[in-house]
Amino acid sequence: MDYLIFSLSLMMVYIGLAQLLHLQFGMAGIPNFGVVGFWGIGLYGTGVLYVQFGFPLFLAIIVASAVAAAVGYVLALLVLQRSGQAILAATLAFAAIVATLVVTEKGLTGGVQGLGTIGFPLRELDARNLVYLGLLVVIVGAMIWVSARVRDSRFGRILSAIRDNEELAASLGKDTAATKRMLFAITCGLMGVLGGLTAPLHQFLVPYLLAPSLTFAVWIALVLGGKNHNLGAMIGVFVTFGLFDILVETYAPVPAEQAILLPNLKLFCYGVLLVAIIMFRPTGLLGVDSPRSPKRPASGAGRDVSTRGAE
Amino acid sequence: MLIVDAIFIGLLEASPLILAAMGFTLIFYLNGFMNIAYAESITFGAYFAILFNVVLGAHFYVALLPSMLLSGAMSVAVYLAIFRPALNRGVGPTEMIILSVGVSFLLRYGLILIVGPENLFLNEPSIVYMQVLGLGATNLQLVALALVFAMAGILYWMVYYTGLGEQMRGLANNRELAMASGINPHVTSMAIWFIAGCAGGMSGVFSGVFAQVTPYMGWNVILITMLVTIVAGVGSVRGAFVAAVVAGILTAFITLVTKPLYADVVLLLAFIGVLTYRGARTA
Amino acid sequence: MMQLEATNLTKSYHEHEVVNIEKVAFGAMGLEGLIGPNGAGKSTLMGLLTRRIAPTSGSIKLSTDTGTKSLNPLRSHEVARIGLIKTNQRIQGFDSLTIRDSLRLAMTPPDAEGLKSIFAKTRDSDEVEEKVSYYVEAFPFTDREGHARSGGEKKLVDILRCLIAEPKLLLMDEPTAGLPDDITRKVMNMVREKVASGAMRVVVVEHDLPLIWEYCDYVHFLSEGSILFEGEPDEVKSNRVVAEKYMGV
Repeated sequence: MDYLIFSLSLMMVYIGLAQLLHLQFGMAGIPNFGVVGFWGIGLYGTGVLYVQFGFPLFLAIIVASAVAAAVGYVLALLVLQRSGQAILAATLAFAAIVATLVVTEKGLTGGVQGLGTIGFPLRELDARNLVYLGLLVVIVGAMIWVSARVRDSRFGRILSAIRDNEELAASLGKDTAATKRMLFAITCGLMGVLGGLTAPLHQFLVPYLLAPSLTFAVWIALVLGGKNHNLGAMIGVFVTFGLFDILVETYAPVPAEQAILLPNLKLFCYGVLLVAIIMFRPTGLLGVDSPRSPKRPASGAGRDVSTRGAE
Repeated sequence: MLIVDAIFIGLLEASPLILAAMGFTLIFYLNGFMNIAYAESITFGAYFAILFNVVLGAHFYVALLPSMLLSGAMSVAVYLAIFRPALNRGVGPTEMIILSVGVSFLLRYGLILIVGPENLFLNEPSIVYMQVLGLGATNLQLVALALVFAMAGILYWMVYYTGLGEQMRGLANNRELAMASGINPHVTSMAIWFIAGCAGGMSGVFSGVFAQVTPYMGWNVILITMLVTIVAGVGSVRGAFVAAVVAGILTAFITLVTKPLYADVVLLLAFIGVLTYRGARTA
Repeated sequence: MMQLEATNLTKSYHEHEVVNIEKVAFGAMGLEGLIGPNGAGKSTLMGLLTRRIAPTSGSIKLSTDTGTKSLNPLRSHEVARIGLIKTNQRIQGFDSLTIRDSLRLAMTPPDAEGLKSIFAKTRDSDEVEEKVSYYVEAFPFTDREGHARSGGEKKLVDILRCLIAEPKLLLMDEPTAGLPDDITRKVMNMVREKVASGAMRVVVVEHDLPLIWEYCDYVHFLSEGSILFEGEPDEVKSNRVVAEKYMGV
C-alpha cells in the first residue's frame, strides 16, 4: 500500500514536469533537455538545506526552487535566442553540470555516498503519505488548470506567436526574448518545486537520481500524450510511468529471476512506443491533427453578433 | 611540460571522440538533425567486436574491420527503416531528435535484453609500454591513435576531395538543385549513413578496448559528441575534427590542473559559453 | 509629425554594396512611394529601416512630436513600439493562430500581455473585438473564424495586422504581390483613408507603377542602391533618368 502511494506520488511529480515542459516546448517552442537539472537543483537544494543547514522542509523547498528559477533565468539569457538545437544541447549540458557537481561537492551533498535523511512532513499524522499524495495532486492539478488559462490568455497567444514565427512577432512590437525568459525562469523554478517535493519521497538522495533518463522519460511522455494538448502530459505519463512502472512492475506476475530485466524491457517498450507515435501519429495521442482545426473558444462579446451581421 | 602532457593525453583520449564527432557531423550535415541514436553505432561497434574477438576468438586487429562494417550496415538499416520514412513525412528537427532518442532506447535496451547488462572486456593485443617524446604510452594507444587519425584523414579526404563528398555537400546545401543535376539522394544518403556508422563503430571498438564494453558506452559519449559538433558548426567535418581535438586536449589539461571531475564541469560551461556566441549558426 | 531619416546609410554583402544612400527622409508627405528596378536594393533598404538587417554604416533616425530617436541601437520590437512597422514582401504568418487571433495579437499593447493576463476574465476587450471584426468582414476570407487558407489570404492578414496595430509610420513592401486586384485596391483605399485622417504615414514599395501614380503623393526613385530622383508622381513620371533606368524608354 505504502509503495503504491509512493509510486503514485512520483507519478504526480512526473505529470507536473511533463506539464511544465508542455508550457515550455508545446506552447513556446523551447526544447528544454535539462529538465532533470532544474528538478535536481530543487531536489538536492532542498536536501542540502534541510540536512546540512537545518532549514524547515518547506522553506528549503522555496529557497531551492528560487535557485532553480534564477539558474533558469541565467541560462535563458545565455542561449534562449539561439537555434533550437543549440538550446537543446546547452540545456543537456547544464543538466550534466548539475549531476557532476552533486558528485564533486561531497561536503554538501554526500557525493556518491548519498545524502539523508530528509524527514517526512506531518510526522504526527498516521495517513501522512496519503495526505502528501493529496498535496501533490492539488499542486499538479493547479499546474494543469493554469496551463489551460495560459492557453486561452493573451499571454498564451504571444507564446503561440513566438513558437510559430518569433521574428514576425518581434516586428509587431512584442518583446519575444523577455517573454521567453520570463516563462522559462518561472517554469524552471516550478520544476525545482517538484524536485523539492520529491526529496521527502526519496528521503535518501543519491546522484543516480540525476541521470538524464528522467529528462527523456518526461519528454517521451509529453510527445506520446501530445505536446500541444493541455492533458497530453498527463495521458503520456499514465501510458508510460503509470502502465509500466506501476501496473506492470507492481502487479504483473513475473518470476524473480526475470524481474531484473523488467526496467530494460520497459525502456525498450518506451523506445518502440515513441518511434511508433512519431511515425504514425506525430501530434501524440491527444494531438490535434493539424493546426488548421484549433478549438479555442471565442471569448469576445461582440463576436457572434458581428459575424452574423456579415453573412 | 604541463602543456605537452595535456596535448599528448588529450590526443590519446580524444581519438575515439574525433571519430564519433566526425561521423555524427556527417549525418547532422546531410539530414539536418542531431541523431542521438548514433550512440548505438558506437555501442554496437564494440559489441560486434566482442562477437568476433571474444566469442569467435579472432585477433583484436582482425576483429576490428568486420565490427566496423557491421556497425555501418546497422546504421544504414536504421536509416532505411526509420529515419528516411520520418524525414519523408516531414517530421521537424526537434521531433527528429526525440525520434532518435526513441530509436536509441529501442536499440540499447533491445541489446541488453539479448546479451544482458553486464560489462564485457575485449581481449586486447599484448601491451607494450613505450616512451614517446619522453611520455609513456602503450603500443595499443599509439596504434589506436594512428588508426583513428588515418580514418579521420580518409573521411576528411572523402568529404572534401571526392565525388561522394561533393554530392553530399550539394545535397545538404540545396536538395532540389542537387537532384536536378543528377545526384541520386538515395544512394548518397545510404553511403553517408554507412560511413558514419563505420566511424562510430570504430570509435566504439577503441573506447571498448581502452576500458570496457557496456551497453551505455555510446550514450555516455553522445552528449560530448553533440556539443563538439554544434560548437564546430553545422556539417563542417573540418570543424568537428578541430573541435574534437581541442575538446580532448582541453579536458586533459583541466584534468591535470584540477580535480578530474571538474574537468567535465569546466568543459561543459565552456561549451555553453560557445553556444551563447555561436549557436545561431546551427539554425 | 513623423519622419524617418537615413544618413550615409550603406549595406554591403561580401564587399558588394547593395545600398548606399547619402540622405533620404520618409514620412513627410503622407503616402509615399518607393520605386526602382529589380535589385535596386528596395527590400534591403526596408529591412535596414526596421532594424531587421544591420547596416554596414550610417545612421537612421526617427523624429516624432516627442523628439528624435536614433534607431541604430534599437532591437526589432523596440522599433515597432516607437511606431514603425513593416508589412512583409514574402509571406509570413502565425500558423497556429486564426485570422482573428492574429489581428487581436497585433492590436494588443505589450503591457496587456504579461503574466497577469493569464487570470483575466475576458481575453480581449469589446473594443478590440469590434475593430478586428471590422477588418475581417471587410474582406472575403474563405473562413472568417478560422485560419488564412491561401497565400493571398496570408498576405492580406499580414497587411491587416500592420494596419490594425496603427503604427505612426507604415512601410509596405510590395503589397500587391500575390493579391487579387480588387483586394489590393480595397487595401490601398483603406490606407489612403488612414493617411488622410492623419492616423499614419505610409511608404509603399511597389513594381506596380499605375498603383503608385494613383495613390502616392510623393515618389522616391531608387536605383543601384542610391536615391536618384524624388518628387511628385508627375515629375517622376516625366523624369528622363527614371525613364531610362526603369521604364526602359
